[in-house]
Amino acid sequence: MSADTELNEWLEMLRAPDVSERLVAIKMLQHLGDEDALDPLIAALQDESSAVQKLAVTALWELANPKAVPALVECLASTDEGIREEVLSALGELVTPDHLLLLLDALHRDDANMQLNVLILLRKIHDAQSLPYVLPFFESENPELREAAVTTLRYLNQVERCQEAITLMSDPDKNVRRSAALTLGHLADAEVISSLCQALTTDADWQVRRNAAKSLALHADSTAVPSLETALADEHWQVRKFALQALQKTPAEQTLPALVKTLADEYSDVRRDAAIALGILKSPIALNALQQSLDDPDKDVCIYAQRAIQNIHESTPETSNA
Amino acid sequence: MALTTQRVDVPVIVDESKCLEKCTACIEVCPLDVLVKNPETGKAYMKYDECWFCLPCEKECPTNAITVQIPFLLR
Amino acid sequence: MDTQWMKTDVLVIGGGTAGTMAAIKAKQANPDGEVLILEKANIRRSGAIAMGMDGVNTAVIPGNSTPEQYVREITISNDGILNQKAVYQTGKLGFEVIQELESWGVKFQKDAQGNYDLKQVHRVGKYVLPMPEGKDLKQILTRQVKRHKAKVTNRVMATRVLVRNGRAIGAVGFDVRTGDFVVIQAKAVILCTGACGRLGLPASGYLYGTYENPTNAGDGYSMAYHAGAELTNIECFQINPLMKDYNGPACAYVASPFGAYTANAEGHRFISCDYWSGQMMLEIWKELNSGKGPIQLKMTHLDKDTISEIESILWSNERPSRGRFHEGRGENYRTDGVEMNISEIGLCSGHSASGVWVNEKAETTVPGLYAAGDMASVPHNYMIGAFVFGRLAGTNAVDYIEGLDHLEPDPDVLEVEKQRISAPLNNPNGVPHTQVEYKLRRLVNDYLQPPKVDHKMEIGLRNFVRYHESLEIMSARDPHELMRCMEVHFIRDCAEMAARASLYRRESRWGLYHYRLDYPEKNNEEWFCHVNLKKNESGEMVLFKRPVEPYVVDVDIEREVYDVAVR
Repeated sequence: MSADTELNEWLEMLRAPDVSERLVAIKMLQHLGDEDALDPLIAALQDESSAVQKLAVTALWELANPKAVPALVECLASTDEGIREEVLSALGELVTPDHLLLLLDALHRDDANMQLNVLILLRKIHDAQSLPYVLPFFESENPELREAAVTTLRYLNQVERCQEAITLMSDPDKNVRRSAALTLGHLADAEVISSLCQALTTDADWQVRRNAAKSLALHADSTAVPSLETALADEHWQVRKFALQALQKTPAEQTLPALVKTLADEYSDVRRDAAIALGILKSPIALNALQQSLDDPDKDVCIYAQRAIQNIHESTPETSNA
Repeated sequence: MALTTQRVDVPVIVDESKCLEKCTACIEVCPLDVLVKNPETGKAYMKYDECWFCLPCEKECPTNAITVQIPFLLR
Repeated sequence: MDTQWMKTDVLVIGGGTAGTMAAIKAKQANPDGEVLILEKANIRRSGAIAMGMDGVNTAVIPGNSTPEQYVREITISNDGILNQKAVYQTGKLGFEVIQELESWGVKFQKDAQGNYDLKQVHRVGKYVLPMPEGKDLKQILTRQVKRHKAKVTNRVMATRVLVRNGRAIGAVGFDVRTGDFVVIQAKAVILCTGACGRLGLPASGYLYGTYENPTNAGDGYSMAYHAGAELTNIECFQINPLMKDYNGPACAYVASPFGAYTANAEGHRFISCDYWSGQMMLEIWKELNSGKGPIQLKMTHLDKDTISEIESILWSNERPSRGRFHEGRGENYRTDGVEMNISEIGLCSGHSASGVWVNEKAETTVPGLYAAGDMASVPHNYMIGAFVFGRLAGTNAVDYIEGLDHLEPDPDVLEVEKQRISAPLNNPNGVPHTQVEYKLRRLVNDYLQPPKVDHKMEIGLRNFVRYHESLEIMSARDPHELMRCMEVHFIRDCAEMAARASLYRRESRWGLYHYRLDYPEKNNEEWFCHVNLKKNESGEMVLFKRPVEPYVVDVDIEREVYDVAVR
């Protein structure tokens, strides 16, 4: 059987009234991967069977022809969750900056699924032109849309200031605050540091506090040191760990006692970062505590304690002779 | 040589009520080529116990007729 | 047995990572040339990345690392035995590969600003680039093969490379569904058949419960050997720290950036680096034998959201049945560590260093025969290295065939091979191939699994040589079973090579991969060299030392030794 006859046979079957025939046809067309099937496959996105629709999405994804993108974008609003997931994955691979206007246009559609998916896809394009289209979602009543929008903001290159994002740090929804805390790591507004410090020390959700510490590590701003020091006593180990990583960027003598204390933390990751921080601080006062860490049951802690001791000796040659 | 037939529990299970006679998707994608059609029923089944439990057969089936279990010896 | 004849300019055997890239590059180099991929499965889902890949292990991205740094790292981790020029290619061309894959739609992990989100997993340097959306890699490659108009013949298995006048002139094999004998004439042949992943027997006892895709049975190792090509460092086995019984990677390198780590039963780290190496495997072996085992990938200290994120990556890529394996045992990462064990042995340059000898142009020692991917001897090459060497093989093969004509194969050679292939079919009541394979691989475990012991390996070698007798009584009842029978032939060849090479190198090197109790120390004075082997004129396996070529990147391997633990 020649390739053309095979193609035509499946295309014919794709028009059959019996859904199982159409399922077989679309599956075989997917495997065939023939560009000549593009238009019938696009038409199959409207098939009355959602199973056929979903396979049409997969087949078009595999063909990867940009002509299919507008039709696929329509499916982002499908009522079938499986189809929405498949088409979001497909478009994640297929959208290019050329599709920016198409996506921004779709963002105006009064459909939460469409809006949510388009907000996610805009992250692939990184274009600051999207900002005015994204901002209105900060005030959406739907927390998922607020969260998606503030996450997308992080992906828009060249956006340095965004007062509205700081407001979301007091959002009632913890997922929105978690994401806003990460986005603030990339913004340069004046209030960013104080807002992150406040979240780090007062937010009820530990993941918000952890994300604030992560963002403070990016900023490496010494005005955050007192808050980071407070966070070393946080009840959640990941907050302590990331606070230590932030303090490694802005070493400050006053944190020494608190750092030494974390060297005996219950969690090995915290102990390891405490050893690293002490190695950066290079204070001989920490030597005794670090010596004890050489017997830590965790191999990484031993290694970093050893390196820290070496750092301290190298920077204070008189003590190594003592 | 004297031979005997041994029963084994196979990992790939096909729901015959869902399997479409004209479809060969699972058979075409199996890396080990262990699936075939039963010529009498037109339904797919696992003929050779050589499964890597890698799942393309399950994922490619247009009617979700296939379930892959972890082979008993590993389960 | 009917015979089918095919003719092409460039023949690529194996349509996995390296093979698809080789075919694409050969077509790009000469769009008018004919390129044929011969694949014993279906290229949509074949090879080591049949189910995608969750990350890249050797990404040398400008601004993060340099090819020189990469060569240094691999030189140290491979205990100095390598052809640096070949490894340099992976460092130099890897970034172009990543960019080209991206232009085809492959997604690599980037940070919010669109920069590559590299992770440090090696001892020094960041070379690991996650691909959380990498499950469709193979379909993307298949699409590009089609767009470049390379031909594909699925479900035909090659069994021998044809050689005449000292050059590769094609291959023979058979259709695994119809049983037809297939002869393919070509001006150049590129072997891309992957690792020998079916060498040792998994502890589960299930023949196909291997780490590698079990279709990768050492086909290329054996075919290159019989074509007269040199193989190298076969004693440097592949042994991996895997999930016990499931035998899939625990993927510490995926989970470690999230805070998971490899720990002993007490929950403490005992190694400082999750990058797979023989040295790491030796530490694991010692830990397991110290009473502090079993070892585990530990994530129970992480929060549920982070664990869900790790699960969503691990359960969608590479080995997606992993989730149901845990579910079946009632295990949960929130409360249970992932029990890990030392795998059975295999041969794979992608992870260790053994393979068909290739230079920096992907040429084997037989003119017209190229090799790439897990079977070609470029150490620690992984997926990006397979792409790089596929690319080199494809373009260099096209250069090589310029002005060359097809040579007619020797009819006697074809007849002998036809007889060899059809023997199991002519013996339908012989010993089933499953039993022949089980026993062979069980012998591999008994006698070759490190630590290596001289007397055991000698017994093993005698068994493998004598195993020709067992191959002769092996039976197949259809072409499918015949495929498995011919794979058992490949496995036997690999077992013999593994035993001979291991006995030849009288020292220990590469951690557990070549740990000999009779020679427990590394001996650079006598053994700072490759151990190569080939089939000589009279058909015997001969072994010899091949000097390490002068380094292009300076490394003092006496002082810079690979150490993943501190005592």
